[in-house]
Amino acid sequence: MSNKSATATAEKAEPDQQPVVSRPSDLLTKEERFEMWMQLYLARYFDVRLIKEKKRGRLRGTLYSSHNQEAIIVGSLFGLKPTDWISPIHRDMPAFFMKDIRSGWENNDRIGMSVEEVCAQVWGKVDSPGRARDNWSHIGSRSKRIIHSTSMLAGTIPVAAGVAYADRLNGGDSVVITYNGEGSTAQGIFHEAINYAAVHKLPVVTIVENNQWAYGTPVELECPTPDVADRAKGFGIPGLVADGQDVFDVYDKVMQAVNHARSGSGPSIVECKTFRAYGHGDHDDDRAARYRPEDEVVQGRGRDPIAVCRQRLLELGDIGSDFAEKWVAEGKSASEATNEDFPEKVVEYLNKGIDFAVASALPPAEEGGMWVFYEGGSK
Amino acid sequence: MSATVDAPAILKKNYLTALKEAIDEEMLRNPDMICQGEDIGLLGGAFGVTDGLQAKYGNKRVVDMPISEAAIIGSAVGMALNGKTVMAEMQFIDFISCGFDQIVNMMATYHYRTAGEVNMPVVVRGPAGAYGGGALYHSQMNEAWFCNSPGLKVVCPSTPYDAKGLLKASLRDGNPVIFFEIKELYRRRELEEELPSEDYIVPLGKAAIRREGTDVTFVSYGQNVYHCLAAADELAKQGVHAEVIDIRTLVPLDEETIYNSIAKTNRVIVVNEAPMTCGFAGEIVARITTNAFDLLDAPPVRITRLDTPVPWVKPLELYVLPSVEKLVNAALQTVRY
Repeated sequence: MSNKSATATAEKAEPDQQPVVSRPSDLLTKEERFEMWMQLYLARYFDVRLIKEKKRGRLRGTLYSSHNQEAIIVGSLFGLKPTDWISPIHRDMPAFFMKDIRSGWENNDRIGMSVEEVCAQVWGKVDSPGRARDNWSHIGSRSKRIIHSTSMLAGTIPVAAGVAYADRLNGGDSVVITYNGEGSTAQGIFHEAINYAAVHKLPVVTIVENNQWAYGTPVELECPTPDVADRAKGFGIPGLVADGQDVFDVYDKVMQAVNHARSGSGPSIVECKTFRAYGHGDHDDDRAARYRPEDEVVQGRGRDPIAVCRQRLLELGDIGSDFAEKWVAEGKSASEATNEDFPEKVVEYLNKGIDFAVASALPPAEEGGMWVFYEGGSK
Repeated sequence: MSATVDAPAILKKNYLTALKEAIDEEMLRNPDMICQGEDIGLLGGAFGVTDGLQAKYGNKRVVDMPISEAAIIGSAVGMALNGKTVMAEMQFIDFISCGFDQIVNMMATYHYRTAGEVNMPVVVRGPAGAYGGGALYHSQMNEAWFCNSPGLKVVCPSTPYDAKGLLKASLRDGNPVIFFEIKELYRRRELEEELPSEDYIVPLGKAAIRREGTDVTFVSYGQNVYHCLAAADELAKQGVHAEVIDIRTLVPLDEETIYNSIAKTNRVIVVNEAPMTCGFAGEIVARITTNAFDLLDAPPVRITRLDTPVPWVKPLELYVLPSVEKLVNAALQTVRY
């Protein structure tokens, strides 16, 4: 069935379109490319600041760094419609406030969380969207179209599929993007959910952030195929591979999958190859240095997405050589990076979020016993 | 409306038909409701509970799902997140364990972890219970797993009237409900009864007194209610008058009806098909000893399945399950305590 329709799509696409030259990123304006670069800095700075704050003992809970994986977050979110849904996991913390950030960093009406809300969650304060009831990335928002993450990893893919199914039933054209590590592609629910989505041609794009390590286990012990994206073959759906260090390649591959999904052709898997900069969580940094060979780490961190993007902007003439030495955050770990390594706009933006979080109160203790059951009755 | 001499046989409905009517009427009433499960559309369900519904509501609202219990429940969670009400059928309630994570970690916690932003109008229902030779994987009563997961309501009707009324109440409740249907009662002729022609519900959290008595209280649910009633008949012949309470919903539990009965009888036997250890009977007994200790003239008793799986052939199966004989003996011992 799906083979047939894939063929049909290809046949239909070829005759009446211009020669296949243009990648989605070719249509980005200079301003849009610059904005993506700024967003990479924003995602990196969020991570850097949180690591610093945690080291100073100001945060509770575990910190799952997105360092070196920012191109995946920025590149996948940039082309979405505000009304699309996303389902991030623990290593995608910036995604919560970067969803629909194209509608304006300061735009309170955008369909994404504010940086204040996300910081309040990180600080465990009452102004978190989840009122600090579950930790770290375990927030979400129906009105902002962000599926609430849990520790069950691929366990949110069927939820994403259900969201998509309901949207289609309502006549919507939303796409749902789910984020996963390569390790969670080994979970049974990953396969059940994508199988279901493929059977019903649901608009679900499953991004696999293949950072080579699932906690302490290397990818070859999680997945037997050369590319994790090869898993798509079993479902008869596209399996794309992107350079996870290159925000424009991620954008291209994700937009290809998004367009496929939005047109009714069904789900895709987009594997973004990257490398986890630190340990699984900050509790694991020391041990990770032991289970991961040092040369692998050096190599894995060698193509910083901020630098890759800058190089591209220089090549395209979007920026002049005066930008080559400006904001040199790449390659620096959190302890080495300073505010001068980041655009002022980025630093100010995050400072507002952190100030808000620090000033926010802890939730009242009795809330621990609340909201077990819904009291309101239904339709 | 009084039954005429000509018509009554037509008006009487069995337990299975009552369930089907509940789903049908809710599908009609609520255009945002979806049914999904294995073989529920084309086939109409392994037992026929959804027979005819796909023809009536289309294959987008009555969905034949792959053999993927976790995806059936997980996608229901997503649909609920996006405004739908979902009836998710487990072909046998035994298979619900394949979707366990989606129930206890995703669905049950949703309202709690979102501080009330999102509620889950999802009913996971399926045929349950032993006494039919279904063996290990078609006989389970695994309700205790879900009673131990905060955020879930747990329902188990024993009559056609309750099956329909409780299922409709569950589909309107707005919370995730695990709905245990007793497949041995689906087509039991002697339970057939006339159902109201108008819309009705049976509220969750309200027990029913199936038989009044003064000497000992049986507390049970599902199929064991009928074992209790049969035991009460037996006991009456020996001058012992048993009261029989059908709790109907486990979560929330109507404790008041139980304590009121014990205030009268001062003796209680709690009966369930599930194994004894950490079973729901144990929870009821614990609450009674904490909240109604002074009312008791004898230690509360549990009659449950042995701590074994449910074996296949009849002598083995009956050996491990509660029986009328076991209940009568327990009652006689209790009244003589």
